Amino acid sequence: MEKVLIAFAAALAIGLSAIATAWAQSRIGAAGAGTLAEKPELSGTIIILLAIPETMVILGFVISTMILLLLE
Amino acid sequence: MIVKMSKVEIVGPKGLLEEVLSFIRETGILQIEPDTIGFIAKEDEDYIKSFLPDMNAVKERAFLEDMRRKIDDLLNLLPEVTMRESYLEPSKILYDLTKTLDLHLALYSELSLRRGAIREELEELRGYERFLRGIESLIPEATEIPDVELIGITIRDLEAIAQLRIELSDVTRDRFELVTTSLDDGTVVGLISVTEKDVEGVRRILSDERFPEMRFPETFKAYPFPEKIRYIREKTSGLSNELQTIEAELERFACGWRPIYTKVKEWINERFSVLSATAYVFETRMCFIIYGWMPKEKVPELKEKLDSEFSGRVILEEKGMVEEDLERVPIMLRNPPYFKPFELFTRILPLPRYTSYDSTPFIGIFFPIFFGMILGDAGYGLFLAIISVILLRVVRLGRTVRDAVTILLISSGYTIFFGLLYGEFFGELGHRLFGLKPICIERRTAVIPMLYFTISVGIIHILIGLILGFVYALKRKTKSEAIVKFLNIVMILFVLAFVASIFEILPKFFTKPVIIAMLIIIPFLFFLGGILAPLEFLKNIGNIISYVRIMAIGLMSVLLAFTANRLGGLTGDIMLGIIVAGLLHILNIVVGVFSPTIHSLRLHYVEFFGKFIEHGGRRYEPLEKKD
Repeated sequence: MEKVLIAFAAALAIGLSAIATAWAQSRIGAAGAGTLAEKPELSGTIIILLAIPETMVILGFVISTMILLLLE
Repeated sequence: MIVKMSKVEIVGPKGLLEEVLSFIRETGILQIEPDTIGFIAKEDEDYIKSFLPDMNAVKERAFLEDMRRKIDDLLNLLPEVTMRESYLEPSKILYDLTKTLDLHLALYSELSLRRGAIREELEELRGYERFLRGIESLIPEATEIPDVELIGITIRDLEAIAQLRIELSDVTRDRFELVTTSLDDGTVVGLISVTEKDVEGVRRILSDERFPEMRFPETFKAYPFPEKIRYIREKTSGLSNELQTIEAELERFACGWRPIYTKVKEWINERFSVLSATAYVFETRMCFIIYGWMPKEKVPELKEKLDSEFSGRVILEEKGMVEEDLERVPIMLRNPPYFKPFELFTRILPLPRYTSYDSTPFIGIFFPIFFGMILGDAGYGLFLAIISVILLRVVRLGRTVRDAVTILLISSGYTIFFGLLYGEFFGELGHRLFGLKPICIERRTAVIPMLYFTISVGIIHILIGLILGFVYALKRKTKSEAIVKFLNIVMILFVLAFVASIFEILPKFFTKPVIIAMLIIIPFLFFLGGILAPLEFLKNIGNIISYVRIMAIGLMSVLLAFTANRLGGLTGDIMLGIIVAGLLHILNIVVGVFSPTIHSLRLHYVEFFGKFIEHGGRRYEPLEKKD
């Protein structure tokens, strides 16, 4: 049972942060596409902006790895 | 490196303005400043005004615009040919050319129109011919009925034929024949034979049921059905000959005149860029004044050239730069050959300010390292290096693509290096084939050590950024900002000491003093950096953790490579296994090029440069000849 809870906690940590990242990226992506239509020279900046929310899923990944490897 | 720029003023008699602008354009080093802020002293504002072109300049502009439009129209009519170099001097033949241009345009517009009409007609005739050839075999059968009218149709839906037969039978009271066949291109066509009085009814059905009828032009009506093919072939041959003659004439004309008109057009474009530049010039009652920016090292050279070219009548003066100018100085980058390709990133992303650092050398040093750390596979690195070398040696690339490929080549070198450290060659294939073993760490299993390693990389990178930020703040004489940066560095070092003492890397008794020291520093951060300063410190910690992406994306890459090999092995067939594994490895390489690039750049632009580089510089765009 304990193992199941650990696995569930790890899944929650990565899963929720992945959903949050996906939501943020969808908003940035839509806005970025609109921006590029008007100012194509901003493509580099848009790519960087799009990669910013990925920190959330990276942090989620770190937490879930720590849960799995350190709590077992 | 950001090149040192100078603020300059060029003054001369009004009559020499165009010559001076042409000369400046030839040298290609001066960026003309259209704004007067910081250039004109308050007391001189009444005497210096924007340059107004005279009536002759306006007339010339209108004339050149008209000529350029006509040349464009003419060149659009002509075919592309291998061009010889034209040695005619455009300015000398310009006015004679206006007369020939009108004649040529009228003549070749007509020829071009005729060419278009012939092509259209030929296309139509080919369609009829294709149709008639297809139904040729059906005609004798159809012509057996006396007073017959033949209707050709195209059939899109084969299943609709049965319904068509029923409706034709109703209208013609069974006095019809419908035969179908397929053309070479797969189109199904049909031929309906009906008596003349039923024709109208049949056409109505065809229209209702959407069977397009092949209607022939009026000229065809004089010929019986089988004769039509012969007529079409004769007509096609005649038109083809006429088309060839027109094309030969256009080509002959293009070979002779295209180079001349192209050269004149280039000359007009150059003239336009000079005339346009006059809009950014200022004037007094007698003189013109050009304000601008140029590299400091080139000032004496341009001064000397202007002096000798215009016999001392045009003067270049270097002006002192004031604080407000620093916001507007254009940015020119110059880097050693190794870093030069990395200017690509600096170009596509916001430029640094004049007083800040050039981001290129930092990207040049750290980007390939991060890329290699993330991809970290000797096989992938080798593959990318071979592709890059082939592209650089064999294909003629534009500047941007060439820079990108060079960056890829450098990065693939680091990928091979880290691949050897991790013991990866197409995943674990290297180990299986030739016993390759990790020199440092096996990424697939050592997740926690890799996590510590990437966090360490983050700490070093962020500390370098903060130290550079501290130096930059000292340079700008913003003391409180410098102290905040310094305190942030100290806080990070204290956090490190705290973690080390918890994990007993440092003696345990360090824990308390370190916490107390941090608690003492926090009020100072509040006091010097405002309410957000402690948050800035937390942001730094977040930035450091963000470097874990190096491990996370790398882990994804190595697991995909591992899966590719396993899936290849599961097929049980050598060839199929190679194909399956190969495809997955290619996918991994493609992802492995984009993902590390974006994330390495992000680590630079968000985490690293945020500490010491101020973006928002203005691009250096001198008045120069465009190739």
